[in-house]
Amino acid sequence: MNFDDMLADLKAREDKARAMGGPERLAKREARGLLNARSRIDTFIDEGSWLETGLLAISSIVPEDREKTPADGKVAGFATVGGRRVGVVANDFTTKGASSSATNMKKIGHVKRVATERGFPLVFFGESSGARMPDNMGAKGMGVNLGHDPQQYVRNRESPWASAVLGQCYGSSAWYTCLSDFSVFRKGAIMAVASPGLASFAIGQKVDAEELGGWKLHERTTGLVDRVVETDEEAIETIKTFLSYMPSNCNELPPEAPVPAGSDDGPERILDILPDSRKRGYDVKKIVECIADKDSFFEFKPRFGRTITVGLARLGGKVVGFLASNPMGKAGALDVAGCEKATRFTVMCDSFNIPLILLVDTPGFVIGIEGERQKAPGKIMNFMTALQMCTVPKLSVIMRKTYGQAYLNMGGGRNSDDVAAWPTAEISFMDPHFATEIVTWGQDASEETKQAIRDQMEKDNSAYGLAEIYGVQAVIDPRETRRYLIQQLDIHQLRLSGGIGKHRMSAWPTTY
Amino acid sequence: MATTEVTSEVIGSVWKVEMSEGDSVAEGDLIMILESMKMEIPVEAPVAGTLAEIKVKPEDSVEEDQVLCLIES
Repeated sequence: MNFDDMLADLKAREDKARAMGGPERLAKREARGLLNARSRIDTFIDEGSWLETGLLAISSIVPEDREKTPADGKVAGFATVGGRRVGVVANDFTTKGASSSATNMKKIGHVKRVATERGFPLVFFGESSGARMPDNMGAKGMGVNLGHDPQQYVRNRESPWASAVLGQCYGSSAWYTCLSDFSVFRKGAIMAVASPGLASFAIGQKVDAEELGGWKLHERTTGLVDRVVETDEEAIETIKTFLSYMPSNCNELPPEAPVPAGSDDGPERILDILPDSRKRGYDVKKIVECIADKDSFFEFKPRFGRTITVGLARLGGKVVGFLASNPMGKAGALDVAGCEKATRFTVMCDSFNIPLILLVDTPGFVIGIEGERQKAPGKIMNFMTALQMCTVPKLSVIMRKTYGQAYLNMGGGRNSDDVAAWPTAEISFMDPHFATEIVTWGQDASEETKQAIRDQMEKDNSAYGLAEIYGVQAVIDPRETRRYLIQQLDIHQLRLSGGIGKHRMSAWPTTY
Repeated sequence: MATTEVTSEVIGSVWKVEMSEGDSVAEGDLIMILESMKMEIPVEAPVAGTLAEIKVKPEDSVEEDQVLCLIES
């Protein structure tokens, strides 16, 4: 064979691999408005930056599949996004449902290992049917395919991982989504342990796909995904936005950005948003948006654990994570879902050197049977432990209520590096209304007596009471909050380690 | 003409309805106040338009995502 023939042969093999499951299957997807594995990558990366690994891989288990498994159903490689290095795995559903088998698992393992060891983000475009059949069947199937990587499912959070759920995600696509620091879900996709068909077969009744693993379930009930979007393109854009806040790895600082014009106008609006009445709720997201650099707030899990609002943003150009009580959800009282959300977000920020800003307005924890059944005390302690193990700068602002254990969970006392309070702050062990009932328990106290006790307790709740004993470092005009936090961030930056935290929770779970 | 459904963010009850059907609303206007966990939860107009229909009255219980009123714009 001469060189020309050799190179023509190479090109023919590459073209065949790039054709995925063939024009018919690709056309069907396109007609449904769905991108395919390769167009997803093209949409995601900087043009011309793609370097594929394992293009010529095929099935190594079933001889008849050799011709039917271009790239063995999972497209893997390296590229740049916004000029920064990333690793990518995109499932090609048109090839054997992107099912997992021996060769493609080696490809995922390689990209994962390189991204981790060389310190750059890893992105999964999930759409896979699970383990390939019959490849994985029987003792030999299991022995050949599974268990060769004892670190396969370990997250030490060396570099950020992001996942998009873009179709049916069973098996590996579901696992990697749950192991990721950020995930986005396209409406119409399904994420579950196994398919509705298999689930129906196993339990002997029809299982609805949306009920089993649709967007509503994961957005509102499980909280396993961070954002829900309408299209593939939107999902890809959302991952790019997430990555724009993240350092490439845990030994770097998050990228800074110029402060947008008009960012200093936001704080002036705080007093219009904060209600006069202590009983009136408000959407804390609006307060966060006033404090952060203009249009920089990127919320995680907006519909899950809504008693607390969390997300990444910039303050004076530097990336921070906001954890803010939201009085619109259960009056801001932390519930089990809120604690899970806060824990996960705290661990992620701490692992990637992102300082935390806590905005506090919480009457305590949601109490009652429902929470106890969901292990509320354990969830509260997970969050508390995470906050205390955190070594990135933590700054807390008490906006209104902060009561009891929630005072500690939201950074009260030495649980933040600096605590400021607004003049509207109320600090105590519990709401005076309930405390009065407890101190007069069993007594025949008149309503006048109770009111007198309540009035006294309310007076003692003030921000100034805490400022006098240096329980807060300052009482500030709410409109000064942005300026105050930017200065505090500068003061508390980790100069001795070049901004890098100790990452003591880097191997904590990704689901609580 | 587009119709926007204004839904409840919380489980609770209707405390006060501040507007009437047919009123014109600007984005951010207070339409009604719900009560949930001893907290007054304002319901504000997400868009400007005309308040076409109010589906609840004071003391009604409301569920999360329940449609409270319709705005036509």
